[in-house]
Amino acid sequence: MMNETAIKEIKSDRAGDSYFKIAHSSGLTIYVYPKEGYRSAYAIIGAKYGSVNTCFSSDNGEKITVPDGIAHYLEHKLFESEEGDAFARYAKTGASANAYTSFEKTCYLFSCTDRFDESFEILLDFVQDPYFTAQTVLKEQGIIGQEIKMYDDSPDWRVMFNMLQGMYHNHPVKIDIAGTVESIAEITAEKLYDCYNTFYNLHNMVLCVSGNVTVEQVLKTCDRMLKPSEKHEIHNYFEEEPYEIVKPYVEQSFPVSVPIFDFGFKACADKPLDEAELAQTEILLSALASPTSALYRELMDNNLINNTFSYELFEGPGYCGVIFGGESRAPKQAAETIKRYISSVKQNGIDDEDFEIAKKAVYGDAISSLNSVSNIANMMADYHFNGNELFAYIDAVASAEKADVERRLARLLDVDNCTLSVVKQAEG
Amino acid sequence: MSQIKRTRLSDGVYFSDVRDSRFKTMKISANIIVPLSEKTASANAVLCGVLSRSCKAYPDFTALSKKLSSLYGAELSANIRKIGDNQVLSLSVSGLDDRYALGGESIARELSVLLCGVIFKPNLQGEAFVSSEVEQEQRQLLDVIDSEFNDKRIYAVGQMVRNMCADEVFGMKRYGTAEKIKEVTPVSLYETWQNLLKTAVFEIMYIGDSSPEKAANVFGEAFSSVDRAPETAQTQVVLSAGEVKRVVEEMDVAQSKLVMGFRAGTALPDSDAYASMLMCAILGGTANSKLFCNVREKQSLCYYCSSQYDRNKGIMIIDSGVEGKNVEKLEAGIMKEIEDMKNGVISDFEISATKLALVNYFQSSNDTVSGIESWYCSQLTGSGYLSIEEMSKMIQSVTKEQIVAAAEKLTLDTVYLLKNK
Repeated sequence: MMNETAIKEIKSDRAGDSYFKIAHSSGLTIYVYPKEGYRSAYAIIGAKYGSVNTCFSSDNGEKITVPDGIAHYLEHKLFESEEGDAFARYAKTGASANAYTSFEKTCYLFSCTDRFDESFEILLDFVQDPYFTAQTVLKEQGIIGQEIKMYDDSPDWRVMFNMLQGMYHNHPVKIDIAGTVESIAEITAEKLYDCYNTFYNLHNMVLCVSGNVTVEQVLKTCDRMLKPSEKHEIHNYFEEEPYEIVKPYVEQSFPVSVPIFDFGFKACADKPLDEAELAQTEILLSALASPTSALYRELMDNNLINNTFSYELFEGPGYCGVIFGGESRAPKQAAETIKRYISSVKQNGIDDEDFEIAKKAVYGDAISSLNSVSNIANMMADYHFNGNELFAYIDAVASAEKADVERRLARLLDVDNCTLSVVKQAEG
Repeated sequence: MSQIKRTRLSDGVYFSDVRDSRFKTMKISANIIVPLSEKTASANAVLCGVLSRSCKAYPDFTALSKKLSSLYGAELSANIRKIGDNQVLSLSVSGLDDRYALGGESIARELSVLLCGVIFKPNLQGEAFVSSEVEQEQRQLLDVIDSEFNDKRIYAVGQMVRNMCADEVFGMKRYGTAEKIKEVTPVSLYETWQNLLKTAVFEIMYIGDSSPEKAANVFGEAFSSVDRAPETAQTQVVLSAGEVKRVVEEMDVAQSKLVMGFRAGTALPDSDAYASMLMCAILGGTANSKLFCNVREKQSLCYYCSSQYDRNKGIMIIDSGVEGKNVEKLEAGIMKEIEDMKNGVISDFEISATKLALVNYFQSSNDTVSGIESWYCSQLTGSGYLSIEEMSKMIQSVTKEQIVAAAEKLTLDTVYLLKNK
């Protein structure tokens, strides 16, 4: 049965902006965020399907297990159709197009300053039009094989996946997004179609457009291009993941001249964080580890970190944690210092001034991010897949309370459940 | 594009402003331009970092960070670039536009004063910088140098440039050498600072909605008491290569990196540079380029293979990651595409699509504060600023004959290979 398209305007007085959330009759959720005075527009369509979705069933059908790296492989191959590849079509409109696969989603995007409607049509067309043959699938092995090798040589990438291997027993988040040269050799056109038909269903996707566009303009193309789809029940199977990490320390030798580290805290991941919890987490991490913090000062004064030091919340289906990382000549000491500092803040609470400053800084970042059409559309897609709204996040930052932030601290950062991963030059 | 207005504040000191009300943030950058030289580059780089860490009003890193964070996460950053044979040190502040301050503060004014203070009123002890601050910055820079080796793509391109331009100033790194960084002392850095204030060209750029006059006045006053004798460098352009230099380095890596350096035979201010820009983009600058379509898509040899033209220095660099056994095939594949261009094997579609892609790329930069800033900053050492429309016109007017002529001017200078053992 065909539903009616429903449009809702979402406003923010704080941001002075508004966007539109549309439940389209085809089953797709669409967000449109017009930016007055902008020349460019950015569109992104994403499927809630990433590298971790390797075991699944659709409508209670047969449970299917597919090779590691297939979501990313599919992303490469979807650009091709019987008539040629989408890049060649975009060449006629001047749009700059790309795509990416992460742990939990696959996204296709373009940005342009002219001829939006034509580029938009190309995007909606090729994403709904898979074309996989034995020959085209085989051709991609060489290209992706080199992409995998490029990442094999990236110490930043290695240090993160080594950390994930140290944190997760069973969860597929510990496996490289692109898979391995061996696993991608098992990918066939048929398996790609299995994945495509399960996950590239408009009910399991989102479209976000921002910049020099109107709702009417977006809907005009959508009404014509989107093929209404039946909603399927998708079930993803993940093995039970214990709360505890696998091991506290992982090390790899690598040709690097400055050692690098990732220090990950594994947390309980029973449900996605909502807007308030996300806001509290960002404020928490800023108060704890931004350049303003006493921790940063201590690490810097003792030469344990340099300007590359960073932190992030790391969250998706069935995994959640916080990573601190960067270059360090003494990663073990850096990790010990971080642990000690977190324990002391847990005991004594967050300093009032630290909390207020962090709140202002996170608020400023949130408002600033609304300058960029690509940021806006990407954030809306991310929020959507977790059931969140962009402006609700900004409001949650402005109204965050210290006590809530301290509760996040207790839940997120367990100093007895963390893994330090180090990549450094072989000794001797 | 938003209009830029440039005024002279003092000898070699210019203030440019771009008024734009579309953004939620503003930015002011002080771009300090000096001739790139082995003698001074490292000290200048250390200075730029030290100035961004503290100042008289906020005498340590934590105090300064707290001030910035309380201004709604404002940022103060330092950046060092090489534009041709000039070193460009940039200190910039950015933050929320006044409209969004929860308490009605004027963020823009505070940030202008802060940036000026950072440059003119640093944290000094007599006629010397604070030694702990200097040491901290030396450590940061030495780590930056070392960490370039961590990323093998950056490392390989760096090694190619070093070899190709070994006898030119441009062969230097933007922050000089580790040895020279270690030689810096709190006292020598004071001299470096004094010298910069006197001899560097300052291009101050303001992008935002609030009135820029206040910021211009703050800087104008600060410079009024400085005795100025500005200098800049003319970039040495080598028009064609001699015998091809080949450099091979072996390493324990999964993927080999091939980097090829060409003399492009032209550089700015020569207007032929625009034809070279387009030629390079057709060759390997987009996802429809010859290298992408043939070397990657048809031959499946690599994941990336792209070309970049440095319009200030007049060189073109092609870099790619490849299986060790396919290196020769890749090099031959790249040379074949270049030969094709020299022989005029370029379709009208390739030309029009690449023009469209470049213009699209130019126009997109007008929609962010940092895009506008880097649009103008990339032209800092030129003889004036071209707007997006003006540069688009230059590109649109390039003919096929000019593209072929640009390709014919290419000569291969250096091939660098990072080979997996």
